[in-house]
Amino acid sequence: MEIVIQNLFNGILMGCIYALIALGLSLIFGVMNVVNFAHGDFVMLSMYFTFWIGSIWGIDIVLTPLITFPLLFIFGIVIYYGLINRTLREHYTIQIAVTVGLMTFLRAITQLVWHAQPRAISYSFIQGSIQFAGYVIALSRLTSATISLIIIGCISFFLNNTWPGRTIRATSDDLDAASLMGVDFTKTYALAFGLGSSLTAIAGGLLMTFQQVDPTMGLRFGLLSWCILALAGLGSITGLLISGLMVGIGESIAMSFWDPRARSLVIYLIFILVLWLRPRGIFGRK
Amino acid sequence: MVFKKNYTIRGIFLLLLLLVALIIPLIIRSNQYNVLLVTTVLLYGVMATAWNIIGGLAGQLDLASFAYLGLGAFTSGTLLIRYNLTPWVGMILGGLIAVGFALLIGIPLFRFRIREVWYALTTCALVEILKVAFTMWEEIGGPVERYLPYYRGSFYHMRFSSYVPYYYLILSLLLITLRLNYKISKTKLGYYLKALGEDEYAAEVLGVNTRSCKLKALVYYSFIIGVIGAIYANMYGYIHPSFFNGQESIKVAILGIVGGRGITYGPLLAALLLVGIQEFLRASMGGEVSGLYLVIYAIILVVVVLFKPKGIATILQDIYPKILPKEAKKKDV
Repeated sequence: MEIVIQNLFNGILMGCIYALIALGLSLIFGVMNVVNFAHGDFVMLSMYFTFWIGSIWGIDIVLTPLITFPLLFIFGIVIYYGLINRTLREHYTIQIAVTVGLMTFLRAITQLVWHAQPRAISYSFIQGSIQFAGYVIALSRLTSATISLIIIGCISFFLNNTWPGRTIRATSDDLDAASLMGVDFTKTYALAFGLGSSLTAIAGGLLMTFQQVDPTMGLRFGLLSWCILALAGLGSITGLLISGLMVGIGESIAMSFWDPRARSLVIYLIFILVLWLRPRGIFGRK
Repeated sequence: MVFKKNYTIRGIFLLLLLLVALIIPLIIRSNQYNVLLVTTVLLYGVMATAWNIIGGLAGQLDLASFAYLGLGAFTSGTLLIRYNLTPWVGMILGGLIAVGFALLIGIPLFRFRIREVWYALTTCALVEILKVAFTMWEEIGGPVERYLPYYRGSFYHMRFSSYVPYYYLILSLLLITLRLNYKISKTKLGYYLKALGEDEYAAEVLGVNTRSCKLKALVYYSFIIGVIGAIYANMYGYIHPSFFNGQESIKVAILGIVGGRGITYGPLLAALLLVGIQEFLRASMGGEVSGLYLVIYAIILVVVVLFKPKGIATILQDIYPKILPKEAKKKDV
């Protein structure tokens, strides 16, 4: 029983970060219907940036998103205008081909710059763990989950209560109507893409506090966030958070009760079952 | 008369290409590594051409090619290790197992109307599922490579002392796949597939049984890849769960897209160019700077997709009327 609860804790803490990553993807896919295969590699890239900034300048990992967030935002906007904007009118396979090209590029460039061995930073002021009623909770994971929740809350506020956020939602609901109301959809798309990729900067920084990074981990994060998106459906941030938690818990339980290698197996099986049984997601709007 | 002349020029051209393909391994035979490279390029050519049936004609973005390849490899390899069954039979059985798995997945997928992105992501997840499943399934797979029994130059075991026979084996499979691709695109099934690839709802309304058409395309595709898988296992001499490679599966689909969806020779052309460039770069600079060849490859890929979104095969289609203006005109009429 204690193991179950311990796993629940771990799963919930992981799930918050997963939800944050999936939120970025949801912004990109939900607004402009572009399939970004490189999303997981954005996470990988921001983890490397975190590693770089952390190890060169000695800035603590928790503070690195202050630098990587704008960096990834600009990166996202450049990618949008350079690649995505040119392929918006094309068949969806072309968009996938472009993002796969981007994915290959990111993977290769990280391998070139940082070589293939895993990298990690060991120091952060949130190292250690706290004891809570007999359960051990790693402080780094707790802090990461809290920050993720705060960021998700901020994004929710941004989408609901600010003008740019409202244009994003309007464009995602009905592109034509929004354009008629004077929304410049290119700028909105660029904003959504930049925001979506900059969210991975925060997630990458948080993941770096307790994980290592290697160039091949992108696809796993990509599929993972697609899985959460399929579970949640489009248009609900609460649904996204709950789906993230479900995936986190499922992964954590599978790892300790079945086989450590089965973590991805469980996620993908959930993914396929949800697609079969409820294609618009559990919390989907449409 | 005109038609006949047109036919002969194309025929001579194709015959020349075939002749070049037949002679290549004899020229570079002295360096087995080069033969392996050329064979790898051809292997991707077959896979991309087979992918063209489901991905190009039917417009279903299937990213599970290496799942079928792995199943074919494991079927044939395990039968050879356990029961000493010749891979020539195991090859067919491997193809059938791949078809069985494809049907097992394809029937519910098409029944629940999973389309476009979600179909792509499901098939992408399948490869990873099989990889983990085979790593955990200790009787057949497991984390350690299983080597096939080593017989130097045994025809029964499909083990040859050089890579040249594999080259011809894969070349003949390529010809069969191209022929099949061409045949399908000229039959009713092909037109149905093209229609539903363009607009599935419209095709359904017009009375096309989209589900059975897509399943047929899936069967052709998975069978060819399964057979290729058996050859792949024998060529490298071992089987391992890393054969289920998600990254490479995506690459096969990308070759199909870049080559030109639905154009019979498009994917092959893309495989020859892109995989050729990649393997050449890897062979020439891979040892010095790891990853650099992939950077160049990725840039080429993105540039090609941005400037030729209909596929590089369309370049040839544009050039054709310029070289032979008379014939192209007659052909249109």
